[in-house]
Amino acid sequence: MVGLSAGERQFIYGGIAQDLRSDGRQRLQFRPISVQTGVIPQANGSARATMGATDVIASIKAELGKPAPLRPDKGKVSIFIDCSPTAAPVFEGRGGEELSAELSVGLQRCLLGGKSGAGAGIDLSSLIVVEGKVCWDLYIDGLVISSDGNLLDALAAAIKAALSNTGIPKVSVSVGASGEDQPEVDVSDEEFMQFDTSGVPVVVTLTKVGRHYIVDATLEEESQMSSAVSVSVNRHGRVCGLIKRGGTGLDPSVVLDMVSVAKHASETLIAVLDSEIASAEAIDDDDAI
Amino acid sequence: MGPDKSLLRTKEDNKVKRAPILLEMATGTLGTYSPSQSLERRHQQQKRTDFQEVDWARSDGRNFHQCRPAFLRTGAASSASGSAYAEFGSTKVIVSVFGPRESKKAMLYSDVGRLNCHVTYTTFSTPIRGQGFEHKEYSSMLHKALEGAIMLETFPKTTVDIFALVLESGGGDLPVIISCASLAIADAGIMMYDLVSAVSLSCFGKNMVIDPTSEEEACQDGSLMITYMPSRNEVTQFTLTGEWPTARINEAMELCLDACSKLADILRSCLKDNASELTA
Repeated sequence: MVGLSAGERQFIYGGIAQDLRSDGRQRLQFRPISVQTGVIPQANGSARATMGATDVIASIKAELGKPAPLRPDKGKVSIFIDCSPTAAPVFEGRGGEELSAELSVGLQRCLLGGKSGAGAGIDLSSLIVVEGKVCWDLYIDGLVISSDGNLLDALAAAIKAALSNTGIPKVSVSVGASGEDQPEVDVSDEEFMQFDTSGVPVVVTLTKVGRHYIVDATLEEESQMSSAVSVSVNRHGRVCGLIKRGGTGLDPSVVLDMVSVAKHASETLIAVLDSEIASAEAIDDDDAI
Repeated sequence: MGPDKSLLRTKEDNKVKRAPILLEMATGTLGTYSPSQSLERRHQQQKRTDFQEVDWARSDGRNFHQCRPAFLRTGAASSASGSAYAEFGSTKVIVSVFGPRESKKAMLYSDVGRLNCHVTYTTFSTPIRGQGFEHKEYSSMLHKALEGAIMLETFPKTTVDIFALVLESGGGDLPVIISCASLAIADAGIMMYDLVSAVSLSCFGKNMVIDPTSEEEACQDGSLMITYMPSRNEVTQFTLTGEWPTARINEAMELCLDACSKLADILRSCLKDNASELTA
């Protein structure tokens, strides 16, 4: 919880109204983002993203599993977020559970698309090994190390970076198995296939403070919000998911305006994130050699 | 309301669906009997291709932009401070509201009231038995949809418990729960800025279908749900999945807001009927 005096509150409100926030940013300006990939050797892919003092890690593990009976031609992806007590004492024990659940659901909505798989950031049919029998289960785990607001956007950025860092082992299927039997598979530990991450959207959260909205709010600014709308936008400028947080209602026209502002802001974020991921991958590759 | 033609037809459909399984069992190709998953899958794939077509008839004979008939009653549970029962097509929900009552001792002091929402499914609410469970996601969505509408500052230090039970899940469960809960809160005499009505919409390719059934929900490309306070013209909760161009979002929102306003009128008239019954 953030305790703010009346003066501090006034300062935040006034700054946002004048388009000059407490840390010198403009309303639609992000904090500097930095991305490191390959931070967890045990995982198939991982990345750490920092936005100002917000620090998150995403790890991706792939396991062989069985496709769901109703969707035999698709793999499975699940997202779990953990809020560590190292970030804030309130996350200790069950305290972080509510926030973790909210973030997990929010990211599932923003990144995994509709029920039929339309608009999904990850192409689920690319995860299939043998139709109806074997597929890859992708476990995406996010960890909040330090929290200074805008967790959803940071986690989505970390997941995007981790996905581009992920190598799924090549699998060869032995032909012998036929019919009802579970086919035998051979997992290669040398050859990996890369993910196509061009479709993975970024999430932009617009926080409404007073009459204005800001991107990339800090914890102090978030404590003053009336409501926030998180929009996930892909490279083609299409909205792939949207969630609203905060109890206060919004005028429908304001919601639509926020969507278009978020779309505009996402262009900058995608460009910054892409270059960050590319340079992180380059450093990671250098280290490997 | 009563049993209408669509209900009868789905029963017949079930009969047709079951027949081939029995045949398979008789010939011994199927070792154990599981609830026809492969059949259901084929059925679903068929449906999906149907839904992509430009024009198809909905299983209950509605237009794309027509909502299911709503049946609403207050006072479903006598021991609660307020309660309501809602039936939208085959989706049946009961919501009870208890309180405001004293918050648990462990809770810290709060100068605004607390809202405690729980959504549970009965074991017989879904086609495959035994999926009766507490729905955490829906519980938090219900909370978020209502907290902006209830005047929490009118009952400090106390808690209002809202329990929603889904008797039959027939699609669009969450919007029905939210609308029904706002009716139950009004029945309990808890002050609100406005009634909250909720409507969802499914998108199939270029088609948009309002108030989807569970069959339609299972193969939708995208979905949108809005909870709305019509008199204040405020959206309290808004979710969207799938890929949407902005123009489509505008169109879908307009459709939903219109449906929400009409639903709110129905909710209001239900409350009025109830009040006039009491005075008469």
